Amino acid sequence: MLLDTEAQAPAPGRAPARPGRRPGAARRSVRRLLVALAIAALLVVEVYPLFWMFINSLKSSNEFLNTPSWSLPVDYRWDNYTAAWETGQLATTIRNSVVATLPSLFFIIVLGVAAGFTLEVMVWKGRNTVLLTILAGIMVPGQMILLPLFTIYFELHLTGSLWPLIITYTGHGLPLTVFMMATYFRAIPREIFEASTIDGAGMIRSFRSIGFPMVRNAVLTVALVQFFLIWNDLLFAITFANRRDLNTIQAGLLNFSGQYGSLDYGPLFAAICITIGGILVLYLALNQRIIQGLAAGAVKG
Amino acid sequence: MKSVLGDRRAIAILLGPALVVYTLVMLVPVVWSFGYTFVSGNPLEGFRFAGLSNFSRLVDDPDVHAALLFTLKYAVIMTIGQVVIGYTLALFYVFVLRRSSTLVRTLVFFPVVVPTVAVALLYQKIFQSAPRDGIVNELLVNVGLDRVDWLGSGTTAFIVIVVMDIWRSVGFYGVLIYAGLIDIPDDIIESARIDGARGWSLFRRIVLPLSLPILLSSIIFSINGTIKVFDSVLALTNGGPGSSNTPLTLYMYRTAFAYSDYGYGATIALLLTIMCFIVTLFIFRSARRDITT
Amino acid sequence: MTTATFRDRRIVVAAIASTVALGLAACGGDDGSEASVDAPDKLTYLVNAENGNIPPVLEDMAQGVCAEQNEVLPLEISSIPQAELDAQIQLLVGQDALPVMFAAGGTPEEGAKLWEAGKLVDFEKELEELGVLDLIEPGAISTIKNLYGGAFNFLPFQYNVEGIFYNKAYFADNGLDEPQTWDDLMAAAETFAAQGITPFAASGEQGWPITRLLSGYIYRSLGPDALQKVADGEAKLTDPEYVEAAAQIASLGENGYLGENVASLDYDSAQNEFLTGNAAMFYMGTWALTAINDPEQNQIGVDNVGFMPFPAVEGGAGSIDQYPSNVGLPSTFGSGTFTSEVGDWTKCITENFGEMSLRDQNTISGFKVVNDVPGLPPLTQEVQEIIATTSDTVLWMEALFNAKAGQDSSHNAALLVTGEMSPEDFMSMLQTDLDAG
Repeated sequence: MLLDTEAQAPAPGRAPARPGRRPGAARRSVRRLLVALAIAALLVVEVYPLFWMFINSLKSSNEFLNTPSWSLPVDYRWDNYTAAWETGQLATTIRNSVVATLPSLFFIIVLGVAAGFTLEVMVWKGRNTVLLTILAGIMVPGQMILLPLFTIYFELHLTGSLWPLIITYTGHGLPLTVFMMATYFRAIPREIFEASTIDGAGMIRSFRSIGFPMVRNAVLTVALVQFFLIWNDLLFAITFANRRDLNTIQAGLLNFSGQYGSLDYGPLFAAICITIGGILVLYLALNQRIIQGLAAGAVKG
Repeated sequence: MKSVLGDRRAIAILLGPALVVYTLVMLVPVVWSFGYTFVSGNPLEGFRFAGLSNFSRLVDDPDVHAALLFTLKYAVIMTIGQVVIGYTLALFYVFVLRRSSTLVRTLVFFPVVVPTVAVALLYQKIFQSAPRDGIVNELLVNVGLDRVDWLGSGTTAFIVIVVMDIWRSVGFYGVLIYAGLIDIPDDIIESARIDGARGWSLFRRIVLPLSLPILLSSIIFSINGTIKVFDSVLALTNGGPGSSNTPLTLYMYRTAFAYSDYGYGATIALLLTIMCFIVTLFIFRSARRDITT
Repeated sequence: MTTATFRDRRIVVAAIASTVALGLAACGGDDGSEASVDAPDKLTYLVNAENGNIPPVLEDMAQGVCAEQNEVLPLEISSIPQAELDAQIQLLVGQDALPVMFAAGGTPEEGAKLWEAGKLVDFEKELEELGVLDLIEPGAISTIKNLYGGAFNFLPFQYNVEGIFYNKAYFADNGLDEPQTWDDLMAAAETFAAQGITPFAASGEQGWPITRLLSGYIYRSLGPDALQKVADGEAKLTDPEYVEAAAQIASLGENGYLGENVASLDYDSAQNEFLTGNAAMFYMGTWALTAINDPEQNQIGVDNVGFMPFPAVEGGAGSIDQYPSNVGLPSTFGSGTFTSEVGDWTKCITENFGEMSLRDQNTISGFKVVNDVPGLPPLTQEVQEIIATTSDTVLWMEALFNAKAGQDSSHNAALLVTGEMSPEDFMSMLQTDLDAG
């Protein structure tokens, strides 16, 4: 894996301690102080805004308007969270996001891994052409397929459901998935599959019993990459599912801010906090995996 | 054995479904969208054949020029920002924090996975100036400077967009480049040290040349992402104030849905697609030359 | 061997199943959407978030006079920013997912297109059938017909004139009378600015409150047909006399008459600036009476607010008594979902809206008021009088624009007053949009 680093980290900067050189303790502690300052600055910049939002999500609109925004709330208004949950219909938007994301992920993985296997391990004429055609899809921006899809879904009477999102996410997510899976399969020697077929098993079985298990880790990585791409999509979500009761989290937040933004600060901050909080839990559970996955997806994409 | 690896039935079953979905969701719409560039109108009012008029309009449209300029300006500044700051961050992880960098890396990476709309709304409040100041203006006032109507003017709103998107993505580039840096073999650096290379000269002579491939990957990824910028601009300023910060993606969206002109919208989308292809191919070619020579 | 083929088959089945599932989705969605188009089970209403008048009245109705209808079809209101409304309606039309009732036609041309595509109810026919057509002011009907493609296809939930609300005490303290000319108005503004009072509260975030000043100036200096001429191609916005008007409005910003943060001030905050005494004047339609008559919002006192017409421009072709008049951003019903249950609701609204809106919101609508409403605040009575007696009316800046010009106009108005866009550039941008059709 790209980032299984802790074990192999060479720590290239480690300067061997050299007795007899003068820099000594004073210089080292200055250096340590500078490092601490750098870390502190980095954390303030990256983390403080989130904290700022959290404390303001607990204030009444009045308090937010009339006291410095960095002060802690005088009166903890947890009911902002109830208000956000209800007026923002967060339960609905979360459900919609889950209902749109999980089936898409399932289809992307099933179709993408099989396709990656066929395009990389199996040998047939036209393989490269098909691979290149699919890879070209990585570069196609969503805007290019937006209008025809909009028309197609309407003509098929698919609108009014989350199917347009599921179908679009599946198709739009395939190129990157196929590419990443093909790369992973490339690392596995073909002989393994050939050997497995000596006893007469078909390629499909050898894909299922050997190919898929061998890339199981990679599948999780790809799934995480696609999860975040789909979960955070805005373009398709506001185009194909912009009826209020079909809004995903992203689209719902956008509407929420328009509907209540200028008046009710507390609930707006609270809604953002809830959105971020959910992702934070997932992130804390899987962060190294997520970081690896997204970085791998980028290098290969 | 080739025959087993070339089993047509297996190929059809394994590849077929993916190919069907890809064709229906990507290939057909791309061709269809290309067809739209020769018409004007929308499904509600019907379509009229328009010949090449969409293309000549594209060439003359001042809004397209402005959107193109914004897109390029944004892509260039963001790519430089993301890669330079990401690289600095990666150097910091590898050479200063070393083994203890995991926690910092994890924290700094977090904004990458937060939904863009949430980040944009947060930044609206941070940089707010009416009806009350956000934290940035509060800070400015406290150190004796003038408050700024950040989202009220094109230039300052652009700064906010860039700051926000850098904030959102820099943890990602830090990790990406970090992954490349730790692949530099330890003994190369050790031997350079023994030769007396320190600090800047160690960086310039050893680290930088050896990390060029990962830098190029980062640049490709960054440009490809930033040229398609949509979510963050839409949610933060909606292309404003006025139309001063409208990228091509958003202009396309408005043209199709707010001004209900599918034909012209598709033409803008085509321009965007061509730009993505050109940039990627161009960088791939120059990258190959750089790495091989 | 047997297990091998068996497993093979399972894969085959899975592969086919996944393709079929995608196909089946088509059928599933089909049923769902058709059903919802034919018979709505709620009275869904999509309205611009800035509208503070209509939703509360409808909610009261649902609890009171129209409780019976609400039992059958519960009212469900959702709102989005006005700037997004036209695009949202376009998207919903494209999915045949229009709400039962919705606000539309921020640019009247877009409203007319909906009518031509057969998406709107013909109220002349439907209200006649329901026996309540005579409960609508004829003047409101003709305004609607003029604007939205020749048919009575929107309902006059509001029937407004527009002008400048002002803080009487501030004017009296400085010995100022109601300005009759633009120069008087500028002199008053200068007086206020010198005292640290913002002369005009205006929302640059919305944009249209600023372009209203622009059209006001154009109508006064060039006459009531000035923008019709532009629509007909007889004049161009880039003609010097039109650019001059834009330059006058730009100078408001340049002189600091619009306050510091005009560009990011939203609708509510701008209104709040006036109602808390930070600003001396506020150009708005008479729908603002709702907030002005609400003692909680209006901290300068209900009796302290005066209403005056946009002043004349000396030597101009227009006259001060030509009020801009409109039916607000109007709401309508979708033709595809206009069932008899929706008809019942419409009837109940038509019978009661005029009275309730006047009594509870102090705003005047195009629905006739059947019973007398006693105890109206003087300012509301004054406005009622103006609406009843005004015969010569004008439109607003974007009324005759196409969608793109309309959006560009309100989007960029803030830039005109912050000086980021010159009057020439602003007007030529709009003219380019108009020329493109």
